[in-house]
Amino acid sequence: MSAWRQAGLNYINYSSVAAQILRRSLKPEFRADALKRDASHVRITPWADGKPAAKAQQAK
Amino acid sequence: MLGRFAPGVCTQVAAVSQQQQTRNMATLKQISMRLKSVKNIQKITQSMKMVSAAKYARAERDLKAARPYGEGAVQFYEQAEVTATEDDPKQLYIAMSSDRGLCGACHTGVSKVIRLRLAEPGAENIKVICVGDKSRAILQRLYSKHIVAVANEIGRLPPTFTDASKLATAILTCGYDFGSGKIIYNKFRSVVSYQQSDMPLFSQKAVENAPKLTVYDSLDSDVIQSYMEFSLASMLFYALKEGACSEQSSRMTAMDNASKNAGEMIEKLTLTFNRTRQAVITRELIEIISGAAALE
Repeated sequence: MSAWRQAGLNYINYSSVAAQILRRSLKPEFRADALKRDASHVRITPWADGKPAAKAQQAK
Repeated sequence: MLGRFAPGVCTQVAAVSQQQQTRNMATLKQISMRLKSVKNIQKITQSMKMVSAAKYARAERDLKAARPYGEGAVQFYEQAEVTATEDDPKQLYIAMSSDRGLCGACHTGVSKVIRLRLAEPGAENIKVICVGDKSRAILQRLYSKHIVAVANEIGRLPPTFTDASKLATAILTCGYDFGSGKIIYNKFRSVVSYQQSDMPLFSQKAVENAPKLTVYDSLDSDVIQSYMEFSLASMLFYALKEGACSEQSSRMTAMDNASKNAGEMIEKLTLTFNRTRQAVITRELIEIISGAAALE
């Protein structure tokens, strides 16, 4: 088992962290464009029994 | 005798013409107000069309880049001939729509697929995740018990892979252990057409029991788990892109139609407006002439 899975991450978290680091370490002329692709606005609300279960939160 | 009746008749005629005149003046004003509002609507729909045309061009370009993600993931399941395990009836449906309306039947189509499925027997094992407020609004009324999560703030900006990974994480951590599932999305075909399609979701057990998994080399359960997580995110990403592209193209068509209809309405209203104005002028002339004739 890999170290990141032991730490409680799944592959999606792992790869998104890797992508973040890669984008940050680009040369300045490419970085601005790449950082735009990093943004995310989706909000996810869990539902239970036909109602929103918790207040909408910015999922990590 | 005539002299005796004349004053009464005169006042009556005057009253009627006054009444008619005020009514006609009002309609004239009403028509011009209506005309103005329809013209404004046409301006709005036209500019909405221009905006969505620009957004559509970008969405289509993005879609081309995103296509390998989704197709690659779907290919894996097809090549390995993964089938859903029958002993696990739990299913998950993901409705890919967006927050924004005025785009034809985009969202209704996706929601309808799920609604029809939920109306069939065995629906109690189905859970739904609504991506976008529109599918939530449609499914909420009758099937709110089936919804496990709702994602919104979709459609304002082009979807990114980060959005898709958030969604995938939410699906994996929502606590619902599904045996199989489907992502329902609008597949973009051309500027004027899109179609509801689906991509399959499987549990890890189903993948491990797939008959032709051996065509792939060096797979252990750890690799499969990682790949399944990643493929879920990339399929969602692809579905988001397809959805965004079809939405923009269909909004473009819808707004084009709306502008055309507004144009027709403007034509008709202008015609009525001119006719009414002419009628008012004619009547006023008649009144003046007949008044002048009466004085002679």
